[in-house]
Amino acid sequence: MPYKILEKKEISMRNIWYKIHAPHVAKKVQPGQFVIVRAFKNGERIPLTPVMWDRDEGWIVLITFIRGRTTMRMANELKPGDEILNIAGPLGNPTEMEKFGKILAIGAYTGIVEVYPIAKAWQEFGNDVTTLHVTFEPMVVLKDELEKAVGRHILETVPIDPNLDFPTNMKNVTKRLTEKVRELLEKEEYDMVFMVGPAGDQKAVFNVVKEFGVPMKSDLHPIMVDGTGMCGACRVTVGGEVKFACIDGPEFDAYQVSWDELIARSGYYTDMEQRAMQEYMKALQGGEQ
Amino acid sequence: MAVKRKIIKERVPTPEMPAEERIKSFAEVNLGYTFELAVKEAERCLQCPYNYAPCIKGCPVHIDIPGFISKLVQYRDDPDRAVKEALNVIWACNSLPATTGRVCPQEDQCEMNCVMGRVGDKINIGKLERFVADYAREKGIDEGLLFEIVPKIEKKGQSVAIIGAGPAGLTAAGELAKLGYDVTIYEALHEAGGVLMYGIPEFRLPKSIVESEIDKLKKLGVKILTDHVVGRTVTIEELLEEYDAVFIGSGAGTPRLINAPGINLNGIYTANEFLTRVNLMKAYKFPEYDTPVKVGKKVVVIGAGNTAMDAARSARRFGAEVTIAYRRGPEDVSARVEEVEHAKEEGIKFEFYINPVEFIGDENGKIKAVKFEKMKALDERDSRGKRKIVGTGEYVTLEADTVIIAIGKHPNRLIVNTPGLKVERGRIVVDENLMTSIPGVFAGGDAIRGEATVILAMGDGRMAAKAIHEYLTKKREGNA
Repeated sequence: MPYKILEKKEISMRNIWYKIHAPHVAKKVQPGQFVIVRAFKNGERIPLTPVMWDRDEGWIVLITFIRGRTTMRMANELKPGDEILNIAGPLGNPTEMEKFGKILAIGAYTGIVEVYPIAKAWQEFGNDVTTLHVTFEPMVVLKDELEKAVGRHILETVPIDPNLDFPTNMKNVTKRLTEKVRELLEKEEYDMVFMVGPAGDQKAVFNVVKEFGVPMKSDLHPIMVDGTGMCGACRVTVGGEVKFACIDGPEFDAYQVSWDELIARSGYYTDMEQRAMQEYMKALQGGEQ
Repeated sequence: MAVKRKIIKERVPTPEMPAEERIKSFAEVNLGYTFELAVKEAERCLQCPYNYAPCIKGCPVHIDIPGFISKLVQYRDDPDRAVKEALNVIWACNSLPATTGRVCPQEDQCEMNCVMGRVGDKINIGKLERFVADYAREKGIDEGLLFEIVPKIEKKGQSVAIIGAGPAGLTAAGELAKLGYDVTIYEALHEAGGVLMYGIPEFRLPKSIVESEIDKLKKLGVKILTDHVVGRTVTIEELLEEYDAVFIGSGAGTPRLINAPGINLNGIYTANEFLTRVNLMKAYKFPEYDTPVKVGKKVVVIGAGNTAMDAARSARRFGAEVTIAYRRGPEDVSARVEEVEHAKEEGIKFEFYINPVEFIGDENGKIKAVKFEKMKALDERDSRGKRKIVGTGEYVTLEADTVIIAIGKHPNRLIVNTPGLKVERGRIVVDENLMTSIPGVFAGGDAIRGEATVILAMGDGRMAAKAIHEYLTKKREGNA
């Protein structure tokens, strides 16, 4: 049952916006939930988050950051009117809608797209939400939308230094991220911190947050295959117990997460992903000649 | 008229791909009978009368085995006719013969009871069933038969939702469609087939065969909604508003893990994850297919059921040295004899009476060895009739760069968390008609059993279809 792409646009460097007809998801999805997308016959199943949706019109918006072959292929090979083969979901548990009080909701890189529906709903529920987006300068997304949706949106960007390699550039983002979180927590009292982003950045932020003793929820993104509790790829140790992020999460108490284990597990296929990406790029270049 | 029957003691063997060749590919190991060989094997059948035939009693779906075998002999001069007649007999009880012919544990079911076994080899029932299904598919005979059946179906005007497109759900769907109900299957994954697609490897059950069996169900009018996760996309309560009855065939999708330090190290897969990557996502074709899998040089598979054999033999095909580690002895191995034999032929080693106690990692959080406690068996037996085992306090360590945990599964929690659905130890509780604690909701297969075989799940699917038919007939007549 394929799902038609209604709109597609590059909203900032390497961030692609897809509006897709997926009525079964649109009808049910709640903030905090995700879907598993399989775009091509030989593609992977990848977890993505519906950022916006319309229950009556039956569409959802997905924003992908091009980081591996699958997201690269989606960006290159799909155009409006084309169909995505599979979108399963919604999956995962919806975010708790409660009056927490003053919330700092952080998104690193494209993590902010997952923060958006949750922060918006929390604000509508009567919380005072500050969102913080830290990313590279050309990769800003959803700035206007967030400014409208929450009490305060803070954007912190880091320039990409062409003289530095990518990992070093990323370290600069992590540095800015932790400095900014520290600055905010020193100045203001928050009742809760919430974050979405790479496991390493989540750990770095958690280490700052715990100094202040503020409760923190983390939206975790371990590697997933089926997303329905069947394969166990996404297992994380939380409070000494093995949990499956897909059906027990994706949100967990940051104080209980075994961060180093999560970081190690998240990087297990990096070498193969790079190989797949290189082969794809080579084929693309070959094909264009 | 008395027929003088010559007893042929030896089974007609089916050709197989040699072990050294097959560990280099995922192609099917057993090559199956030709028509001539199938007839030769069919002729060995003693044709026990239907009421007596012990093979039928041993079959969870009660296929008329002597009935279909006799057609092959009776119409030996017209192979197409022979297969068509035989398939018609099988289809009365089983819509997925190409699958069951391959993956049923015949030695414990139909073939276990075969009278020929008293004087010689038992009839090769599984391979004959497979032959009928394969020949019919290759010649389009099955399509022709469907073409005759479908117009005769009387529509009942009632609908049934089925949760899960695995063996239980597909069987129930097929039976209910034949009875004239509108059937819709809700499947969480992107392809129908359940464990037949994600669990059982290509070399034992080619995916094209599963797809073809599912295609036939679609031709019977069964609708399949993939990407629909019941419990998330739609709830059972919502299904009950839309359909007249619901069947849960959601299987035992949640892997059991070992409660030992290091279980989340990189390189430790559950069998479900490993097999899903390899079978469903075709990771053995990476990077042509996008999904990766990492199989090291030394692989340890923990467990000794069919899933463990499937995982071990799959890993072998990546060029690994594979050891199966089992905490009990050889007599308690639950995998099919044929699978164990195939595994041994393919060079897989077996270590018995060792139980994992710790997974040892390197500085990067990657598995490098497994520490096992040596076990010993007592004379006392447990509730399943297996000898009890106890630790000896002695340990042994096996090097491993990949570990696959294949010690069993629990039913999927998304389904069992339905309000009002009675569940015990993770399994859905049903009455003798397979009805759950929610009226109109039935369940079968691994969702009620924990973990069993494809054919037992199919048996449940068939029984549930019968019960749903009775339930809906009453409902229909009550409303009229």
